[in-house]
Amino acid sequence: MLKLVHRAGRWAFLRVESFFNLAFGDRLNPLYYLGPISYFLFWIVLGSGLYLYIFFDTGVEEAYASVEQLTHGQWYFGGILRSLHRYASDGMVLTMLLHLARHFVFDRYRAFRWFSWVSGVVLLWLIYSAGINGYMLPWDRLAQFVVIATAEWFDWIPVFGGTLVRNFIFPENVNDRLFSLLSFIHIGIPLAALALLMVHTQRVPQARTSPPWPIAATLSAALVVLSLLKPALSQAPADLASAVTVIDFDWFYLPVYALLYRWSPGEVWALVGGATALFLLAPWLPPKRRRVSKEGFHLLVRPDNHIISVREGESILDAGLREGIAFPFECRNGGCGKCKATLTYGEIDPGNYQKDALSEAERAAGKLLLCCATALSDIEVEYEPTEPLGGRPIRTYNARVTRMNRLAPDVMQVFLALGPGEQLDYYAGQYINVLLPNGEHRSFSFATAPHVQGEIELQIRLVPGGKFTPWVFDHMQVGDTIRFEAPLGSFFLREDSDKPIIFVAGSTGFAPVKSMVEHALHIGLKRNMLLYWGVRRPQDLYLGELPRQWEREHANFKFIPVMSDPAPEDHWTGRIGLVHEAILADFPDLAGHQIYACGSVDMVAAAHPAFLARGLAQEDCFSDTFLLPAHKPGGAAEIMKPGGGR
Amino acid sequence: MIGVLRFLAQLALYVPLMVILGYFSSAPRFAHLPQDRALMRVSFSHAGERLRECHQRTPEELAKLPPNMRSQLDCPRERSPLKVEVELDGRLLLSLDVPPSGLHHDGAATVYRRIELPTGRHEIAVRMRDRPHGDFNHRATTTLDLPPGGSVLIDFDNARGGFRFRS
Ligand code: HEM
Ligand code: FES
Repeated sequence: MLKLVHRAGRWAFLRVESFFNLAFGDRLNPLYYLGPISYFLFWIVLGSGLYLYIFFDTGVEEAYASVEQLTHGQWYFGGILRSLHRYASDGMVLTMLLHLARHFVFDRYRAFRWFSWVSGVVLLWLIYSAGINGYMLPWDRLAQFVVIATAEWFDWIPVFGGTLVRNFIFPENVNDRLFSLLSFIHIGIPLAALALLMVHTQRVPQARTSPPWPIAATLSAALVVLSLLKPALSQAPADLASAVTVIDFDWFYLPVYALLYRWSPGEVWALVGGATALFLLAPWLPPKRRRVSKEGFHLLVRPDNHIISVREGESILDAGLREGIAFPFECRNGGCGKCKATLTYGEIDPGNYQKDALSEAERAAGKLLLCCATALSDIEVEYEPTEPLGGRPIRTYNARVTRMNRLAPDVMQVFLALGPGEQLDYYAGQYINVLLPNGEHRSFSFATAPHVQGEIELQIRLVPGGKFTPWVFDHMQVGDTIRFEAPLGSFFLREDSDKPIIFVAGSTGFAPVKSMVEHALHIGLKRNMLLYWGVRRPQDLYLGELPRQWEREHANFKFIPVMSDPAPEDHWTGRIGLVHEAILADFPDLAGHQIYACGSVDMVAAAHPAFLARGLAQEDCFSDTFLLPAHKPGGAAEIMKPGGGR
Repeated sequence: MIGVLRFLAQLALYVPLMVILGYFSSAPRFAHLPQDRALMRVSFSHAGERLRECHQRTPEELAKLPPNMRSQLDCPRERSPLKVEVELDGRLLLSLDVPPSGLHHDGAATVYRRIELPTGRHEIAVRMRDRPHGDFNHRATTTLDLPPGGSVLIDFDNARGGFRFRS
């Protein structure tokens, strides 16, 4: 039944939204910004209210006259603000209810969203209370009605039992003190609502709290026009000696008050109380979504190479934004298509969206809208970053090979020089994509620190049978030209932390580590740094003297080589085993550390969960090579390893 | 051209929205009390007499009490409920038994009734009994001309001589 309501509601919203898209375009459709518009209207209400308050007299005799004076004596400003105050409040009720309805029918109120939903229900009460309270202040016939009706309604509650209304029907009880109290409440409730609003959106990653400016501008203009054409006016002054008969009525705020005189107060309490309880419990009531996984799933984001968790029912966009991924997005409601990305692995529920934003063909080709799709398994998603890291543009360079050294039988050190006048800014840890003539590319990390200008160092490991590395070893010559794209990747040394650093390098994973350590030493980083470099045998430490030299010259740097397979004739007396196991042996607790892991897919796949299990925070674990545990292709080794190791 | 069309389309959507806001913020009018009716409210708060009278404790009774509670006079706190009746033009309109408030039934009893009346000239009689036994001990009558939207408020204040009609 409720499912049917959801489905019908979604259908209606999508229909109306697509209609609105014709007029507003899919980026400025107000229906995609109902929450932010409510927020914006709230600011108009607060701003205009502040001005009204300056001129409002909180005395029984003066209140009516002061509002009249403002409305007519100052119609060109105070009057307009009074009208704006009323219409923005009414508009807020409208957009708030639509906002509520949209989250409801799109089933975006369960699981972790209960927090926004429940705070929303409380907000709903506060907004209504503030509005109804506001109508008490001008002390006209409507005010008289509203105070008495409120008292009559609350008098149904046994503790009041008929005493409350006596404050409002006897002229001698309606005094200035009562008025000061009413207007004090009218400031208190909105401020409480504002505080709650901040809480309400607090758990929504990168929540928009204001609509795009063209919407704000048109809406404000429309409200001003309305205020001029139909100014908000007081009704006849309150008169306790005569009964309120027929009055102008605000149906946005007061429908419950109309009901109060059709039903009994007790029935109205039952309705309002029951509806509130139902709303508060809605996130936990059926129909339950098919539970796919309690813990949620893993999401591997490319090209960031970040693994993050996605919660049940959470859009992939929200999950990414929560973890600081710079996913592109605009409407967040399946209208604009800006958040389009490619699903490269796993299963998703594509969600509900406009066909213009994502066509059937695109969907069939594995595209998805990040703001609508939810995960049904561990997934891998690739998006096109609109903003390069740190604003450093990605472009294609032609570089000349200036030097080559065979550091080990299977490791070639290659130095490249850019063309005259060319400069390449990057972060230590980023990589380049060497472009092959056949359109493929191979990734290699910068092995030099960014401050070393002039020459770019790569450490290339031979992958037998590969399309590029055998050529490097057998045919490449000094003077050859290499085309590459750079700088790439979001793997870089985070300098906004004080935590001690552990570098884990496997084989040629040493290249990005070298870049990062040299950068750290160059800028005088004071954090403790520990490098575990894992190779098979001592002779594979192809630049082994370098970390030993860092260790001698810098008290905050330590180097621990780890051999996985030393031969007896190596006479190795140091650490033996897998490199990440050496770390696990040394650190029973990894909390409070940052780990940068560079190496083979297998190494990172084994190390990452083991580190997390030892208390390392997800956001403190960085790698250039991530793969979902469930998804390890055998073949693409040469493509997957920007660190250069495999 | 597209720009103009867009502008017109947006206008076509904003105008109804503003019409909705402007209209429902004050209309349709709400008839709280139909034009041809008047309103009577009965509202007062009054503490009835004690249900039982105080009595002098006998020495035996006193001896049974803990020493710190041996007061001569025993005054049960419970108050009598109020019996209230209102007559309109000789016909009984309202008959209420109002219990005292409080956990021990020792507080004031509060009455509130809102009754719509036809307009015109009316004779209103109100009476109350605030003690456990006997006849009504507070009474008042009045004759009033109630215009449409007229209002009469029946209050009770012992210090000011009992029932008052305020209109
Ligand atoms: C003045 C009243 C309100 C304002 C200004 C407001 C504003 C917002 C804003 C700006 C957001 C974040 C972006 C968005 O989804 O639009 C939001 C989210 C949300 N709101 Fe409200 N809201 C209000 C009332 C309500 C009410 C009454 C409910 C429901 C009872 C509600 C339920 C939600 C939910 C479920 C979310 C989504 C949380 C998520 O996606 O994680 N809101 N609200
Ligand atoms: S952000 Fe607009 S469709 Fe996803």
